[in-house]
Amino acid sequence: MIHCHRVTKSYPMGNGRKEVLKGLDLQVLPGEHIGFLGRNGAGKTTLIKLIGGVEMPTSGKIRRGMSVSWPLGFGGGFQGSLTGYDNARFIARIYGHKYGEIRDFVEDFTELGPQLKMPVKTYSSGMRARLGFALSLAIEFDCYLIDEIIMVGDANFHRKCHIELFDKRGDRALIFASHSPELVREFCNRALVLHEGQGTLYSDVNEALEVYSAL
Amino acid sequence: MSSFVAGWRIQRRVISALMVRELVTRFGRENIGFLWIMAEPLLFAGLVGIVWRIMKGPEEHGVSIVAFIASGYIPLTLFRHAVSRSTRVFSVNGSLLYHRQIKILDFIFVRFIIEVIGAMMAFVFIGSLLYLINEFPVPADIGALIAGWFFYCLFTFSLCLVLAPISELSDVLEKFLPVTLYIMIPFSGTFNMVSWLTPDLQRIMLYSPFVSPMELMRYGIFGDRVQAIWDLSVTVGSSIVLLLIGLVLCRRVRRVLVVE
Repeated sequence: MIHCHRVTKSYPMGNGRKEVLKGLDLQVLPGEHIGFLGRNGAGKTTLIKLIGGVEMPTSGKIRRGMSVSWPLGFGGGFQGSLTGYDNARFIARIYGHKYGEIRDFVEDFTELGPQLKMPVKTYSSGMRARLGFALSLAIEFDCYLIDEIIMVGDANFHRKCHIELFDKRGDRALIFASHSPELVREFCNRALVLHEGQGTLYSDVNEALEVYSAL
Repeated sequence: MSSFVAGWRIQRRVISALMVRELVTRFGRENIGFLWIMAEPLLFAGLVGIVWRIMKGPEEHGVSIVAFIASGYIPLTLFRHAVSRSTRVFSVNGSLLYHRQIKILDFIFVRFIIEVIGAMMAFVFIGSLLYLINEFPVPADIGALIAGWFFYCLFTFSLCLVLAPISELSDVLEKFLPVTLYIMIPFSGTFNMVSWLTPDLQRIMLYSPFVSPMELMRYGIFGDRVQAIWDLSVTVGSSIVLLLIGLVLCRRVRRVLVVE
């Protein structure tokens, strides 16, 4: 279980501070699929970073009772100057996995072929998404943090994600930030609407999407 | 206990992975690869040694001038590199913080260790080379040499631990760092022994945390052919204070660090 207790996060802005999250509470149970909805700048990415431990909350506590993936998003997690294979090797090392297994899975899942020998900075965002997903699926987490990135993939990638995340790993939790109503409807069984630093959790995704579109 | 063992295992995994990554990103896999880490200290020590040899003759105060300069310049390059590489180390490595088992202290430690390994390799290499042409003695007291290195490294690391977080909080540090590194050279013990100075100057020099370890290293190499004076209390004391401040600052900075 992931437990966020009265989490606030603020960043310096000019002479004052911008408060992105103002005392947010959230619980994520094993196997739960939660969509994060909110306008640009509402704090979706910030909350995902806090849950992933990339940044620290200004106040409040986040407890992780299960293993949580690193946030899969447009930035971070990779070393751009290293090749796809080198990144895979690095991730295998720090998570204590056998590189051979990870490599096989990555080759199979990403279908990037010889491009894996090129530096990650030359990848398109779709290719990065494939690599990021492949690596985090190969490591196996109890909870996956996904920030938008599924959207940049093509139909084939989309299908693969569905098979790997839902058919093979249906028991895992998922946190998914997105602006796409279709994807949230497809992937999530609950949704959190972020607005003005507060989060409201809806167990009906359609209701959450209605509230979100009215913002 | 078992959690300690598990933590230790993760720590070792992370440190070795980070070291490989750092070496590959910095030096690539072309030609001699990571052996480049000893290229610069080697060139510095060698060329400066040769220039001094031409300017001042073969010996000074009874020891080979090339050996003296080489043995001083390599620790100095270690210090200068370690310090300049520890600035902004958190922001440039920001993308690694996506993996929770990697801590910001690992960044500082890894970069420092790589510099140490480079300096050590260069030191052994140039020492052996000079030994073959009779310009470098067999170390008289290997224990003193290693102890000197240890305390030199200890202070350097402690300073890096403070400078790294400060460089994230303020841009001013980076502006002043190059000139400070230059000004400190006379107080680093690189080019002279304390005993060559007047008593007043000797007192002042021993307040520099670099001087005692450097004297110890010189004694380890040349033995009784030089008169070495050291008092490690300044080095150890200032290192402990810096380590404590550094740990507190790192913790602070991690809380407010914005990761892209």
